[in-house]
Amino acid sequence: MYLTLNEMNKEKLRYGLIITVITLISYLIFILSALALGLAQQNTSAVNDWGVTHVSMTSDANGNLSQSLMTREEVLNTKTTEHSAIIGVAPTIVKSHKSPISATFIGTQKNDLIDKSIRLTKGTWPKNQYEVLISSELSQKGLNIGDKIKLGMLSHSVLVVGYVKKLEYNMSPVIYGDLNNWRPIKGVSDQFYASGIVRKDAKLTHATNLKNYTKAQLFNKMPGYSAQNKTFIFMIGFLLVISAVIVAIFLYILTIQKIPNLAVLRAQGVPGKYLVLNTLSETLIIMIVSVLISAILCGITVWLIPASVPMFFDIKLLSLAAIGLILTGIIGAIVPVRIITKIDPISVIGG
Amino acid sequence: MTSLKLIDVTKSFGIGESKVTALDHINFEANSKELTLIVGPSGSGKSTLLTILGGLQSPNSGQVLLDKTDLSHFSKKQADKFRLNNIGFVLQSYNLVPYLTVKKQFDLVEKVKPEGNLSSDTFKKYLEYLGISKLLSKYPDQLSGGQTQRVAIARALYTNPQFILADEPTSALDSARVEEVAKLFKSIAENENKAVVIVTHDLRMREYADKIYEIVDGKISKK
Repeated sequence: MYLTLNEMNKEKLRYGLIITVITLISYLIFILSALALGLAQQNTSAVNDWGVTHVSMTSDANGNLSQSLMTREEVLNTKTTEHSAIIGVAPTIVKSHKSPISATFIGTQKNDLIDKSIRLTKGTWPKNQYEVLISSELSQKGLNIGDKIKLGMLSHSVLVVGYVKKLEYNMSPVIYGDLNNWRPIKGVSDQFYASGIVRKDAKLTHATNLKNYTKAQLFNKMPGYSAQNKTFIFMIGFLLVISAVIVAIFLYILTIQKIPNLAVLRAQGVPGKYLVLNTLSETLIIMIVSVLISAILCGITVWLIPASVPMFFDIKLLSLAAIGLILTGIIGAIVPVRIITKIDPISVIGG
Repeated sequence: MTSLKLIDVTKSFGIGESKVTALDHINFEANSKELTLIVGPSGSGKSTLLTILGGLQSPNSGQVLLDKTDLSHFSKKQADKFRLNNIGFVLQSYNLVPYLTVKKQFDLVEKVKPEGNLSSDTFKKYLEYLGISKLLSKYPDQLSGGQTQRVAIARALYTNPQFILADEPTSALDSARVEEVAKLFKSIAENENKAVVIVTHDLRMREYADKIYEIVDGKISKK
């Protein structure tokens, strides 16, 4: 540590440049992680908010809840409990005095599992099927409490009476309303009753035509969700590898330049372990300082970016990314550490 | 009196036709209070002798004795400890860590070897004696060749070693400085009770030596 701190103090520009490069990579990793999580939440935030673990839907819907059409008979043949809820999910267009907006209508039943999970942020609870709650995201797009809106093929207008927090399903903001409105919004015949049954207990007995999915399976079946996540994971993983390579190259060059001095220190009896620990502390300082600066930059970013940018800075996820970065830095230090352990002090004693 | 002896030491490198015998049945002795010179042409084995004396490598055969302790079979860790506690190396170049001030060169020694170093008063006396007491805040790249070498000598003395091993310590110095450094080594040997061994090509140092060994083609002779 002693050698490291003094070297950094003397070579401020050199170490400043290294820390700048690692900071930029760390910042990029943090931003990509936040973007990946933000985009994922555009698919998942509504379902996560319900607190459910499983969903049942018709097997021919291929895991896409909004494509599932359960008949009244199938619903009746399925044993529901207080830990489950029958829902209707319909992608729809919201027509109002503003431009049309894409949204997802979620039809629920009064006092069921989902209805109880909804937290009103402003306004009043719907009293009948002619009133709805909307995601706060829609208020940012110009819809207000008191607006009358038309949803899909529903023949009558519904009144916006309240907001819930920003919740989305499959990339579009949700509208909570009565399950009885689901069928006309979706434009399907009377034989169909709902899209599926969500629950937070174990598998329940259901009609043979239905299929069970876990929450993770449901998300992975959403169009584009899995491919999007894999793309981000690949980019973040590749950036971690790049940061390890950059640390390795920088430390390799620095170590190569210092070999004669390190050899003299070895000749004078300074243990190799002391020099190795010095290099590891050098790596740790570079990585920790870079990660801390990146975290500060992220804090500034959170403050500056518009709310419409789909980023979510989760402390746990960013902490994991930070630990990953520090570990990759240590992996990058393996090469220079190996060089130090191989230094031959005889090399500095002339022939 | 402390002594460092080589008894019938042989050191060779390579095998078969490429085998080179650097030291051929060498006998050598360096004692405290003495300045011993090792002279000889390039490639004669002088540096190999110095590295064996300093525990940097082991001989193929023969003994390396510090008083009665045989160093020739020391492990790497034992050899490190031996050098740190008993040997002060002064080399041709790269003696000083470039990003440490002169004072911090000594602080580094203190970090690695917290005990048994020179007392503060003795250290100050050396700094005055070597004429470097006003250079403590300087970095190595701010020192002249002579100043650098004097700091290196002070650095070697700081651990209070029994032996000072110097490899061509005057190669970067002008004539006036050579005389100054030679006198300094002589004084360290006599007044500080150290055994000083210097490998050199520099004939100007001969007049200060108590003993001179010459190595030619791996064979040693006392002059």
